[in-house]
Amino acid sequence: MRRRAGRWRWVGVGLILLWSLVPIYWALKSSFQTEADARATPVRYVPTNPTLQNFRTLLAGDSDVSDQIRRSAVNIVVECTLATVVTVVLATLAAFAFARMRFRGSRILFYSVLATMAFPAYTTLIPLYRIMSSFELVNTYTGIVLVYVSGFLPLATWVLHNYFAGLPASIEEAGRVDGATRLQVLWYLVLPLARPGIISTALITFLFAWAQFLFPLVLSSDLSTQPLTVVIASLQGRHVVPFTLLNAAGVLAIVVPAFIALAFNRYIVNGLLAGSTK
Amino acid sequence: MTVPGPGRRRGVGLLPYALVSPVVLFIIGLALVPAVFTVVQSFYRVDALDPPTRFDGFGNFVRLAHDKAVVGSIGNTALYVLVGTVLSTVLGIAAAVVLHKPFRGRSVVIAVLILPWALPGVVEGILWTGIYDPNAGLVNGVLSSLHLGGSGVLLGENRLVTIALIELVQVWQIMPLSALLVLAALQLIPDELYEAAEIDGCGAWSAFLHITLPLARPGIAVAMVQALIMTLNVFDQPYVLNGAASTGASITEQTYFISFQDLDFGQGYALSLSVTIATLLISLIVVKFVYRRVDL
Repeated sequence: MRRRAGRWRWVGVGLILLWSLVPIYWALKSSFQTEADARATPVRYVPTNPTLQNFRTLLAGDSDVSDQIRRSAVNIVVECTLATVVTVVLATLAAFAFARMRFRGSRILFYSVLATMAFPAYTTLIPLYRIMSSFELVNTYTGIVLVYVSGFLPLATWVLHNYFAGLPASIEEAGRVDGATRLQVLWYLVLPLARPGIISTALITFLFAWAQFLFPLVLSSDLSTQPLTVVIASLQGRHVVPFTLLNAAGVLAIVVPAFIALAFNRYIVNGLLAGSTK
Repeated sequence: MTVPGPGRRRGVGLLPYALVSPVVLFIIGLALVPAVFTVVQSFYRVDALDPPTRFDGFGNFVRLAHDKAVVGSIGNTALYVLVGTVLSTVLGIAAAVVLHKPFRGRSVVIAVLILPWALPGVVEGILWTGIYDPNAGLVNGVLSSLHLGGSGVLLGENRLVTIALIELVQVWQIMPLSALLVLAALQLIPDELYEAAEIDGCGAWSAFLHITLPLARPGIAVAMVQALIMTLNVFDQPYVLNGAASTGASITEQTYFISFQDLDFGQGYALSLSVTIATLLISLIVVKFVYRRVDL
């Protein structure tokens, strides 16, 4: 009985691994093939003559497409990093106050921040575009980062609030007795303890920012701010970029998030569960 | 919890406001004000090609209801929601059950499981374009190797097939979170319940039906709500896999076309507002019927 259950589990584990990895394998395989190999019939399931030509074209080439990929890769890194830093710093300050201090109006402020999580993200797409365009922030890093931060703050504040609320109050009281100010308590006592929560929040925020598409599609009009996701979609839409080159571009765009997901999965799982339950 | 003591009177009282004010200002300025904008402007004619902005009652909603593309996209989105919510919940529960009991390598499997969740939807669209490609794709390659059907499965030919294939790509992205949420709920079920059931001669399937499913309901409800919100707003996957083709266009795609190609912001507002209201209503219904407080 028990042994049979064990066998079924391994079937299930195998299916989970195949489900997650096969589409990624297929893109990797295509990115290491020449266009002729990838389009050959019958379909070639492994790259028998692997080539780095697609990646060389994208990273070191001097064509239009290579310029777009390189510039948009810089853009996505800049936008995601800025959005993550601003989100985590602001959310940490607010979450500390919401979790650890009593002040008039704290409840209503906290719940109004959280309530915006119930809106689907795209509810505010058009007004945000019009606000940004009236401040002439369309097609600027500032505009994109402001919009990202406003979207990510509620979840980040919620996750960090839960971490702070779970820390023992005695630590702070000890610090206060020793004459530390509130901010010293936050900096020297609470932050080191809350580090796992802060890392989780930062990683999840970064992944959310990296995945953005519709907002930057609307908010950036040219290569000066377009992230990799927008450029890749536009390459695909033109139907002239070779299939294998497109797959290589896709592989470049998933290297960073895939690394984060695999290397720091414990932080991400904890953060996701802290954010969506309770 | 801090005790309100003399500290408050000494002026520490302003510190919490200073700490929360950046977040609160962001939320007011870039979430609440825009949301109010959406509600109010839905009742105005805001059209870059037909100025000035003027009050129009339910005009936008009436025009939307008569727009064939919009009505079609509502039907498409209903299919996305149905296919996506059912598939991601069922697969999520299945994956959670597989990962429920500890075994060697479980954390590696969980890391691989969440991988698709972490990737951008647009790029997932590109990855799956390769899977679905009529010539070079994996699906049609396997089908023709097995001598099943000459032309194989194609995007864009049949509405139901197109929507199912596109939604499968989104399920690939959202199922990991469903699985994690259900798994977290499963971890709270005490082992003694399963042991007692086994002693009573209860089989694995019956234990699943009578212990696992009912006690995992809070997790399943949250998983379903997140799947609903994601599928009701699906954009990236149909945009990449199907372009502007109306065969599988979602409401969010239609909102984007109306607002940023036709520049009719008023109708865009009205459509966003409708989707928001639908999302909130359906989420409430799911929570009411699926969610149950579980006391263990």
